[in-house]
Amino acid sequence: MTLASAIRDDGARLAAACTACGACAAACPSPPFLGRPVTDPVAAATGLRATLRGEAPTAEGIAWIADCTRSGQCAAACPEALDVPYMMRLAGMRLRGALGEAPAIAGSADTGWAARVKAFGRLTMTEEEQARWL
Amino acid sequence: MAVTFWYGCNMTRHGEVIRATLRLMQAVGITAEATGGPASCCGAPKEPDARIAGAMGARTVAQFNASGTGHVVTWCPTCHMNMQDVMAPATPTNFETLHVTELLHASRDALRPLLTRHVPARVLLHRHLGFDGRVPVNRLVADLLALVPGLELVEHELDLPGHMCSALAAVPGGLAQAQRATLAAMAESGADTLCTIFHSCHRELVGLEQGRAFRVANWVHLLAEAAGWDIADDYKAWRNAPDPRAAVGADGLASVGEAVFDRLVAPELRRPRPV
Ligand code: SF4
Repeated sequence: MTLASAIRDDGARLAAACTACGACAAACPSPPFLGRPVTDPVAAATGLRATLRGEAPTAEGIAWIADCTRSGQCAAACPEALDVPYMMRLAGMRLRGALGEAPAIAGSADTGWAARVKAFGRLTMTEEEQARWL
Repeated sequence: MAVTFWYGCNMTRHGEVIRATLRLMQAVGITAEATGGPASCCGAPKEPDARIAGAMGARTVAQFNASGTGHVVTWCPTCHMNMQDVMAPATPTNFETLHVTELLHASRDALRPLLTRHVPARVLLHRHLGFDGRVPVNRLVADLLALVPGLELVEHELDLPGHMCSALAAVPGGLAQAQRATLAAMAESGADTLCTIFHSCHRELVGLEQGRAFRVANWVHLLAEAAGWDIADDYKAWRNAPDPRAAVGADGLASVGEAVFDRLVAPELRRPRPV
């Protein structure tokens, strides 16, 4: 299995068990914290399920997935005992274009990431530590 | 017990925390080899491309398998969840993954005699909801802080969304809202110290010290202080300095290089504060 196949296969498997009841979206603390609550949890969950199937998501689904901060509170809310945080994670990757599809959510790839991480390492670690730890 | 301490990537900003964590492990009889940075990445920074992120994760698992230590001890909740959710299912592992707070909490009786210095502080723990369901870090860190003489943990219901502040920084308005809630909790609780659990929270919150009468410290800083270890938070000093270049100093600039400092380090240290 690869990450790409997990997004496709785990996504499809979990979507097949999801009833799009919306309990997860209703329980999610992120949108209200951010001042833009989910007004239609069923539409948001329908968008999640569609995304996992590789279908066009609802606008409510895109908005909810974009506001996911990985609070994990959706897990306990699901009456089907699905791993909703994992579903949200797979859907988030997919909507950011991880499978080469046009992104529906702006990607977060940090182009200077590796060089910046190493630059800070040079500032906070001794040369011996850099050789051993990096 | 021998472990690999997988500190993650963005922790390179906090070398003193890596060093002190290794020292805490060593003090309780754990031999740890630290690894992190781009060479042992979970793939999260490259997630918008599953092919790249997946290959990075597979390479890291292969490296840990080859180390033969049997235990990979995480610091970063993103690394931890990625290992359990997507890396280990994709590439068979010959090690167990556990979080550093689990390991140190299990050894807290051995830690106690080490923590003899008084650290007079009224501490608010900066808690997030997101990783706590996987590893109960909020309780584990509170228990570890309870070992510190003189330290008082204040009660407050602050439980922020997200698994750490980087998740809130990635959504519009999230970080500012989290910092406003944190400042309100500090005022309501009367705490004089804000204790971070994770590095991304620490990186974002140290800037709150500027112009305010409280300090921001990571839980490892507080344990190290109680152990009497000299542990300077350079990142905080640079972030709050009027001139980060002068604060980093000539030796720092020489080690990182002028061009790299200007392009990658200075913009981060000078970034606007969300509140
Ligand atoms: S709560 Fe579970 S079943 Fe209901 S929409 Fe969410 S994931 Fe699907």
